[in-house]
Amino acid sequence: MRVRDIVLIAILSATITASKMALSFIPNVEIVTLLFIIYTIVFGFKKVIFVSIIFSTTEIFLWGFNTWLLGYYIIWPLLVILTNVIGKTTESEYSFALLAGIFGLSFGLFFAITESLFYGLGFGITYWIRGLLFDIVHGFSNFILVLILFKPIKNVIEKQSERFI
Amino acid sequence: MNKKTIVVIVALLVAIALVFGYQTFLSPEAELGAKEVEIQIVNQKENIEENFTYNTDDEFLVDLLEKNKDELGVEFEDSDFGMMVTTMMEYEADVDKQEFWLIKVNGEDAETGVSEIPLKDGDKYKFELSNF
Repeated sequence: MRVRDIVLIAILSATITASKMALSFIPNVEIVTLLFIIYTIVFGFKKVIFVSIIFSTTEIFLWGFNTWLLGYYIIWPLLVILTNVIGKTTESEYSFALLAGIFGLSFGLFFAITESLFYGLGFGITYWIRGLLFDIVHGFSNFILVLILFKPIKNVIEKQSERFI
Repeated sequence: MNKKTIVVIVALLVAIALVFGYQTFLSPEAELGAKEVEIQIVNQKENIEENFTYNTDDEFLVDLLEKNKDELGVEFEDSDFGMMVTTMMEYEADVDKQEFWLIKVNGEDAETGVSEIPLKDGDKYKFELSNF
């Protein structure tokens, strides 16, 4: 790994954490998913998988250690892996919008599963049902954001990356 | 309108329908899953004041009482009006002395019997020996 790659990974991680904080005032509307998808397509799986791990670790520094943060170490790298798999077959923003949408919708379910490992199934089911409304907001806002912003942001980042690399 | 605009509008409509559906069907009267509730038993006559905290999956107060029957020393009577609590902490309310167990939910007199009181997270259920 070259020094340039290390710097790039650091910058990408910083932008993702910053973008999450910038939109944190709207519950469950985020561009973290969008950025992870675009970064994976533009910079490739090998670099962005590190970004997802750094992002998850930074979240622990920001919010303190919590059971749900452990899930971050699974769910964000998983998104990068899925994007990489889908990106090999298609470049259509509709596929990525669908991925982001399903990702957002199943966010609560995923954490319900990890939380029930700690607190029991009853807690997990309550957690999931109580959070369904947020999952709906998360999934559909993800779908719309990726559908509209994927192409323009990808173009900008591709141009910048050519200059950088 | 181009294709993308239509897709976005459809997505928005579906989202609104789902939110509406959630609020209509999935906001249950009784809370599912785990909750923490408090039960307080007060019997001034016998100088008893006991507090219990439970983590439970039960939906109604009667289920919780049934499960912790021994600890709470509770007994019911199935009357025409539903389940009625007759005994708490082994003390049976004496009808001849106009005694009964008054149930309060978060400080308010309960309007229904224990089978119709849904358990809610953080709620406090008080059983107080009273006279009618």
